[in-house]
Amino acid sequence: MAADEGGDDAMSDLHWMTVGAAARAIAAKELSPVDLTKALLDRIERLDPTLNAFIRIDGEAAMAAALAAETEAQSGRLRGPLHGVPVGIKDIIDVAGLPTTCHSKVLQDNMATADAVCVEKLRGAGAIVLGKLSTHEFAIGGPSFDLPWPPARNPWNTDHHPGGSSSGSGSGVAAGLFPMALGTDTGGSVRNPASCCGIVGLKPTYGLVSRRGVFPLSFTLDHVGPMTRTVADNALMLEAIAGHDPLDPGSAASAQGHYGAALDRGIRGLRVGFVRHFHEIDTPANPEVTAALEHVARSLQVEGAEVRTITLPSLNEFGAVNRVILQSEAWSIHGPWLSERPGDYGKLGRQRLMAGAFMSAGDYMLASRRRLQMIAEVEAAFREVDVLLCASSMDPACRIEDTAEVARTYPRQARTPFNVTGHPALAMMAGLSVGGMPVSVQFVGRYFDEATVFQVARAWERVAGTDKKHPPIV
Amino acid sequence: MDKDTIEMLARRAGLARALADFPEDVTIAATQAADVAQKIKRPADPRAEPWPPMKAGTTL
Repeated sequence: MAADEGGDDAMSDLHWMTVGAAARAIAAKELSPVDLTKALLDRIERLDPTLNAFIRIDGEAAMAAALAAETEAQSGRLRGPLHGVPVGIKDIIDVAGLPTTCHSKVLQDNMATADAVCVEKLRGAGAIVLGKLSTHEFAIGGPSFDLPWPPARNPWNTDHHPGGSSSGSGSGVAAGLFPMALGTDTGGSVRNPASCCGIVGLKPTYGLVSRRGVFPLSFTLDHVGPMTRTVADNALMLEAIAGHDPLDPGSAASAQGHYGAALDRGIRGLRVGFVRHFHEIDTPANPEVTAALEHVARSLQVEGAEVRTITLPSLNEFGAVNRVILQSEAWSIHGPWLSERPGDYGKLGRQRLMAGAFMSAGDYMLASRRRLQMIAEVEAAFREVDVLLCASSMDPACRIEDTAEVARTYPRQARTPFNVTGHPALAMMAGLSVGGMPVSVQFVGRYFDEATVFQVARAWERVAGTDKKHPPIV
Repeated sequence: MDKDTIEMLARRAGLARALADFPEDVTIAATQAADVAQKIKRPADPRAEPWPPMKAGTTL
C-alpha cells in the first residue's frame, strides 16, 4: 500500500493543509475559516462513521466560531497564531458546554462548565474547537468494544488500532479530519497514537502545559501534549498551550517559548545518544522497526550529528516504576466508583484501574524513591548528549479485533521512561512497514528544551519527507 | 497471590461488589499488581528520597 504523497498547501486539498499554512492563508485573507471548517466537517461526516475519531462533533458551535473568526480576519483582527484553524480535543479535557465523558459510562453526563486551561489558550490563539475525541476509557482502558462509544480506528488501515489512549486525536489528525489535536500522555498516550498513525506527538516537559480542567489518571505522570502532522505545527501548537498556571500544583515556573526557533537550523555538531538497548535487548523490536531506527540514526549522522550509544536503566524497570505509580494514583481517584459501580466500567478499564487496590504504600514509596535515581541517570546522560534517540513502539499497529495481539504488542514500547522522568519526548514516523503501517522513532530532550527536540525531529522530517506521507484514505 | 489473599485484600479495598460481579477481573487486577514492585531495584542508600519531594511555600 503506497502512501499518498500529496502536497500540504494546495487550496484544493484543505484537509491536508498544515496548521501553519492555514493560519498564514487566513491572515492573508486568502482562505476563509468558514470554508476550511466546512470542508473539514464535510470530511468528518463522510469518514468518521468508519474512523470513530469523535465522541461528539460540535459542528454548530464550530461554524459559529469560524464565522466570527472570518469577520475578525476580514477586519484585520487576528486573535493569535492559530486564528481560524480547527482543532480536536481528547474527551478527558474540559470544553465548556460539552460533557467530558472520558469515553466512559461513569461520566456520560459530566457537563463541563469551563474550558480546561489548554483549551482556553487554544481559543485565545484563535483555534476553533470541532468537538470531543475518542480515548481509551479514562485514558487507560482500551481499545475496548464494551463502552458507550466504539473505539477509534487507524486511517492507514481501518482494521487496525490507532494506538491510545489519545486514539481519536491520532486517527483524526492522520486522516485529515483536523490539522491538530490535544492529547494526554501518562504512560505514552500521545506518543502511541502518533507512532501508530504516522503523525507527530509531543509529551512536553512535566509541568510545561497546565493540567487544570483535564480529568486526571495519575497526578505525577500526566502530561497534555500537541498532536499534528508536521513538526513545525507541533511547535506552533506548543507555543499556544505552554505556560505557567498558578492553580496547577505541578505547573512549572516558566516556559522557554520560541519552540520553533531552531527548526531549520540543521543539526551539525549536535550530540545524539542512541538508546539501543531499549529495542535490541530489553524489548526486542520487530526487525522493520529496528531497521527504521538504524536508518534514522544514519540519516542524522549524514546531516552532521554525532551519534553515540547511551545506556539507561532497563525498560522493564522503567515500566514497573511507571505502573506502580500510575495504578496507585489512579486507584486513589477511581476507588470509590469501582467500589460502588464496577459494572459501569468496561472490562479493560476495570481490570487496570483495580490493580492499584492491590499495591501497597511500600510499593508506591519504592517506585517513587527509585524514580529520583532514574531521573538522575537520565540527567547524567544529558551531560554527554543533547538529545536521545530511541524506539517508541516496537511493532506497527496490529488488527484492533485481535485482542491477543493487542495485549502482546501494547506494552512493547519505550515511552514510559519519560513519563517517569518528565523529560520532553516526541514520537513521529520513521517509515512504513511492508504492510503499509507506520513505524516510529522517538526523540527526547533536556527539561524545557523542546526546541532542540523539534530541531532534530525537523531534520529527520526534512530528510524522510514524513510530513508529506498521508494514509491512502479518500 | 492466592485466592483467599485476593479476596481479603479486595474486600478491604471496598471491592466486595466487584468481587461478586466480576471475580475474574479482580483476580486479573490482583495478578497484575502482585509482582510488579519486585522488578524495581531497591535503593541501597536508606537516605534515598522519593520524587516528587515535599516543598514548602510553593504556588498554591
